[in-house]
Amino acid sequence: MTRWQIILVRTAILFVVLGAWEIAPRAGLVNSMLLPPLTDVLAMLKVQIARPAVQEAILVTALEVIVAFLIAVPLGAAAGIAIAEFPYAGAIFKPMLFYVFSIPKSIFLPMFILIFGIGFQQKVAYAAFTTAFVVLMSATAAVESVKSDYVLVARSFGATPMQILRRIYLPSMMPVLLETLRISMIFNFTGVMIAEMYASRTGIGHLISNWGENFQMPQLFAGVILLAVVAIAFNETVRFLEARCSTWRT
Amino acid sequence: MQYLADVKAATAAGPAIEIDRVSHVYAGAEGGVPALEDISMSVGSGRFIVIVGPSGCGKTSLLMMMAGLREHSEGRINVHGAPIPKPDPDRVGVIFQEASLFPWLTTFDNIEFPLSLRGVSRDERRRRSRPMLSLVGLDGFGDRYPHELSGGMKQRVSIARGLVQDPPVLLMDEPFAALDEQTRMTMGHELLRIWSTTRKTVVFITHSLTEAVYLADEVYVMSSRPGRIIDHIQIDLPRPRTYEMMATDTFGRLRDRIWQQIRASH
Repeated sequence: MTRWQIILVRTAILFVVLGAWEIAPRAGLVNSMLLPPLTDVLAMLKVQIARPAVQEAILVTALEVIVAFLIAVPLGAAAGIAIAEFPYAGAIFKPMLFYVFSIPKSIFLPMFILIFGIGFQQKVAYAAFTTAFVVLMSATAAVESVKSDYVLVARSFGATPMQILRRIYLPSMMPVLLETLRISMIFNFTGVMIAEMYASRTGIGHLISNWGENFQMPQLFAGVILLAVVAIAFNETVRFLEARCSTWRT
Repeated sequence: MQYLADVKAATAAGPAIEIDRVSHVYAGAEGGVPALEDISMSVGSGRFIVIVGPSGCGKTSLLMMMAGLREHSEGRINVHGAPIPKPDPDRVGVIFQEASLFPWLTTFDNIEFPLSLRGVSRDERRRRSRPMLSLVGLDGFGDRYPHELSGGMKQRVSIARGLVQDPPVLLMDEPFAALDEQTRMTMGHELLRIWSTTRKTVVFITHSLTEAVYLADEVYVMSSRPGRIIDHIQIDLPRPRTYEMMATDTFGRLRDRIWQQIRASH
């Protein structure tokens, strides 16, 4: 199949799914109370986005996601690089961190509520906690992906440690780093959502969980579409950068 | 500049590389592991030297010491009249086993990498890398990435990168080991052509006895660990070398002598 055929088939599938979403409830094939038609959901999305309360919730969630990300990425990256670069630190902490990494982080949520309450801080702390582990693991992998041959070559040409960092480490790690950024955002977003849905007074996660509990299906689906669009947009942007930065990777 | 003048003066005066009773012991868990024992050689300027020896005999370590990339426990190594405690690209260029090109750089940028480390301007870099690209026979491939080049082409780029700063000494660590037999023969021939136009002092490490005899002015044979020099053979075949020479009796005798030495040392 050519590239165009694949794109054509994909688009066709998308239209069939969206079309089914519209027609099935209207034709009575599925309960429209459980699955409202697509056009109703989109109309509801427009209404909801115009509401100040929803706008505030979006703002709060966005802030939580951004702040948690800004805390988790440098923290996790620094720890991950330290573990990869210092063999002793690696030997001591690596197994421990791998053990903790395997535990589902959501079981710590009650503890975060006890310590931070159910406000902004708790969302940020919990999301940063879940994300930092992912960043740490990937940063370690990124450093370890730098071939020692390249460092040796650079040294043989008299490169200084700073030059080795900038000219060898950074470009070698770039593809892995961007992928880390992408994956850690997925975890970060999930962390904020879980914390908001579990116990909160505002935020999109809180609204979605409320709409669900009150059986407000059009609102619920509108929230899902909103989040899906934001998440996919971020993911694809970083993936685009990733592809541009690694044309040399085949 | 004074420094470069000193290097040039030393070139004219003495041997390019002097290795005087060098030994090396690796720190191991249960005391030291002797790796090199009492190595001495004197490499004349502009000579093509090949070191052969079994795997793990320490020949790569020895080369890394000549490059200032590794320390040795005892003895003295002088390159153009001075010790080499750390890498010095003005004196020594190194070409590694795998071409070790940086995959995120084009051919031009790979060749210019040593120059860019020293802040040479972009125009000047290109001015100097172009003739190197021609020298190794890769005109027109300057903007390709390494993954677009064949194994032999990569090693050509690596040679150009080693030559771009015009060091008087070129150290080559089994540069053609990863190539197929045919490419390897061609590359050996190409290397001799490049060497005859640049007149560098070359120290070349290999496993291949044929390659050793074909390329060298002198062959040093090393024993297995701890590495010692067990033979030093002058290869008095005429230059330029041709593929036909490989079929001659002299060639066969020289190759056989090296083989006997290596076999006896096991």
